Amino acid sequence: MTKNRENKKTEKPFSFRGKNLLVLVIICYIVLFFVNSQLAVDSLQKSGKVLAKILPIFGLVIVFTASINYFLRPKQIAKHLGKEAGIKGWLWSMAGGVISHGPIYAWFPLLEDLREHGMRDALIVVFIYARAIKVPILPIMVDYFGWTFTLALSFYILVGSILQGWLLELFEKSIKNRGDGY
Amino acid sequence: MKKQQQQTKTPDSPPSFFKVLKKSALSFFAMAPMLLGVIGLVGLFQTLVTPEMLATLFQGNPFVDTLIGTVTGGVSAGHPMISYVLGGELLKQGVSHYAVTAFILSWVTLGLIQIPAEVEVFGKRFTLYRNILAFIFTLIIAILTSFTVQLFS
Repeated sequence: MTKNRENKKTEKPFSFRGKNLLVLVIICYIVLFFVNSQLAVDSLQKSGKVLAKILPIFGLVIVFTASINYFLRPKQIAKHLGKEAGIKGWLWSMAGGVISHGPIYAWFPLLEDLREHGMRDALIVVFIYARAIKVPILPIMVDYFGWTFTLALSFYILVGSILQGWLLELFEKSIKNRGDGY
Repeated sequence: MKKQQQQTKTPDSPPSFFKVLKKSALSFFAMAPMLLGVIGLVGLFQTLVTPEMLATLFQGNPFVDTLIGTVTGGVSAGHPMISYVLGGELLKQGVSHYAVTAFILSWVTLGLIQIPAEVEVFGKRFTLYRNILAFIFTLIIAILTSFTVQLFS
């Protein structure tokens, strides 16, 4: 009973996030509507199309987050993606970034959840940068820019993602050593 | 005895998948205003910043154009395929390979419109460091890729 109470206490209360951003965007639309109503309608239609396209991805992210939370304990996540994670953690993050589909902000809730369970910031950086490789449209890139360009760019993106993760961790360590909280 | 064991097990037993799914859906729903705000910004940018406007920014100097490519790609929004089409057109117009590579790479690695959401989720410091690193690496990768292509062609 006490454990349950403690759990309830530690759970975050529900509250909407990013309300200020949404209000700001709505104000922008209202202003644009008075300046040029056609542009405002066009923008709204384009936003609607983007939303319709990424709604299935939102669904996928919710199921993915739930599956991770159901099948993996926080200790296991920390083991695979946390401080104890070895080279496999880097490779998993890289692969996750490459195969994840849709805009990055759709994946923020999952990454935030993994971070709360112990995922290293370095691996989040790796995941985000590795997303620059878009597997489904690689053939189009080959068609436009050629094989050499596509292979070279993909290779440098993967190496670059790891270097960025490593550098971020160095920055974090130097900040911690200076006694500044992250 | 059995009843007692069951009672003691209940608080520690893992929640059902449905409960976990509901919790995940709720935490995602809490982010709805932030995600809708970003999507609203994407619509605005796609309408107000046209490909023609972007093409006029390039000046013919490979170094300056690489910087311009990185910045314009970073402020643009939309499907990455659009950046390939635009990049192809820019190449035809004589814009350097360095600039076009920086443009299509920063299109997917830097995101001005997603910064408010990134700050909300990961914090200011993480967002600042990640975006500075992504900016620098986009420049480096653009130069290395173009150099490699020239080497093998």
